[in-house]
Amino acid sequence: MDLLAYLDPGSGSMILQIIAGGAAAVAVTAKLYWNRILKFLRIRKDDETAEPQPTDSA
Amino acid sequence: MQSPTETSPRADEARHEPGSFRDPESRVFYSGGNVYRALSQDGLDDFKALQETKLFERFTADGRLVQTKLLDSTAGLPQELLVKDCAGVLEHERIPFVSYPYEWTFSMLQDAALLQLDLNLAALEEGLILKDSTPYNVQFIGSKPVFVDIGSFERLRDGEPWVGYRQFCMLYLYPLMLQAVKGVEFHSWLRGCINGITPAQMRGVCSFRDRFRKGFYLNVFLHSKLEAKHADRGKEVKSEVKKAGFKKELIVANVKRMRKTVGSLTWDPPEGVWVAYGERNSYSDVDAERKDEFVREVVTSQPWGLTWDIGANNGRYSRIAAEGSKNVLAVDADQGPVELLYRTLRDEGDQQILTLTMNLADPTPNLGWRGLERKDMAGRGKPDLVLALALIHHIAIAANVPVAEFVAWLASLETALVIEFPTREDPMVKKLLGPKREGLHPDYERVNFERVLADAFDVERRERSQSGTRLLYFARPKGSGSPIDLTQPEG
Repeated sequence: MDLLAYLDPGSGSMILQIIAGGAAAVAVTAKLYWNRILKFLRIRKDDETAEPQPTDSA
Repeated sequence: MQSPTETSPRADEARHEPGSFRDPESRVFYSGGNVYRALSQDGLDDFKALQETKLFERFTADGRLVQTKLLDSTAGLPQELLVKDCAGVLEHERIPFVSYPYEWTFSMLQDAALLQLDLNLAALEEGLILKDSTPYNVQFIGSKPVFVDIGSFERLRDGEPWVGYRQFCMLYLYPLMLQAVKGVEFHSWLRGCINGITPAQMRGVCSFRDRFRKGFYLNVFLHSKLEAKHADRGKEVKSEVKKAGFKKELIVANVKRMRKTVGSLTWDPPEGVWVAYGERNSYSDVDAERKDEFVREVVTSQPWGLTWDIGANNGRYSRIAAEGSKNVLAVDADQGPVELLYRTLRDEGDQQILTLTMNLADPTPNLGWRGLERKDMAGRGKPDLVLALALIHHIAIAANVPVAEFVAWLASLETALVIEFPTREDPMVKKLLGPKREGLHPDYERVNFERVLADAFDVERRERSQSGTRLLYFARPKGSGSPIDLTQPEG
């Protein structure tokens, strides 16, 4: 069960951390965009990437 | 969220800390003069994980983490103050005087930021992370920053990013950038908004060339752009990020990069009259020595708990006050000399004198939710002794606060007082009166001041400087001293 932190991490802020992570981020960035491409080409369905939604307490 | 002062009003009363409610896993309360933190089961599990780390031992030993112990039993504590389903209670060391980032100088905020990042790096090494990044979790014991929110540590969960990154930018990085690069002091912004400066706001004050400065492009320009673009995609992005395999190494890389950026920011006080005030103030050396002696005699005449040196400037009298006080607040409206004083005290390893910058004519108000989260000065601990040296002319003439009003405020603190009154003939008073219309401030006059002072205090001692333009007084709250007759010529 995923617990959401009491702070909202911010969507843009999360993506920025991936872009800004330098060498450590290369693989993650590639995967993030690869998943988006698969989703765009409808090779992967939306629900495959969907997570159980935690309650938002932020 | 933070610990209270030893001298909080009604320190023994059992009550919640009104500034500690945003984190549902832990809540601070006071009872019997001690500071406690009630934890939920998750909060307790996080604390136990923290307790087993090397960082807990290391940072507690060197005083960078507040002294904390887990109580064996909650018996004897007021049960109504414990969180619902309370699983454990911590007891914390008390902080002598709570202060806020909008009262700190540049280097104080920077040192707090570096402590936050160092703790986060140490936590990550041992599988934990700081769940937030607020400077309200750091307090100062003298010149030493101490991290007080033990409830901020939690076990790192797979695939989660650095949740506190955005808050770090808003409350640490942008305020420091604003002052270092734009020359705008961050205090009014932080005081005006408890959440700090948003990425879009920071982007708004930056010029084109700022994007080439260290840390600006990523943390300000790109950050605000991504935030605008993904504003409504919270759940989706979180899921994407997790799917892509957000790793601990990525957080470590980001925290390390942030440490470099924060460490590279610098700010120095401008060259000016105030910075060198101690060396070239307007009275002679003989008078300076006599003033030192007067203050020293008062502060060493009995043990004092908390002394406020208001209008502290370069801290000359704060240091003398420290000879006879447990803790000293050195407060001045001008950040320049306070910053220099902080740097010196930090080099000395001082843990007694807390430097703060605040305009006494526009002091820190009660702020935050219901005006209770952040308190005004007196609400955080009334002083036992106040030094108001070379101050009243600035308050009365430059800030237009009537003399009687200022003295009434001092009396409301119910404290002993050392106050200096420079007469209308004093060079500094003349300088302040110079640009004003003739005849203004008729209340700024010695006989009136002494009448007002004697009405509100028992004045026990008065001494005139050799130059004749400055008078020093020592007074106790009305009814608690042995007053002298101020209508007689001074001895």
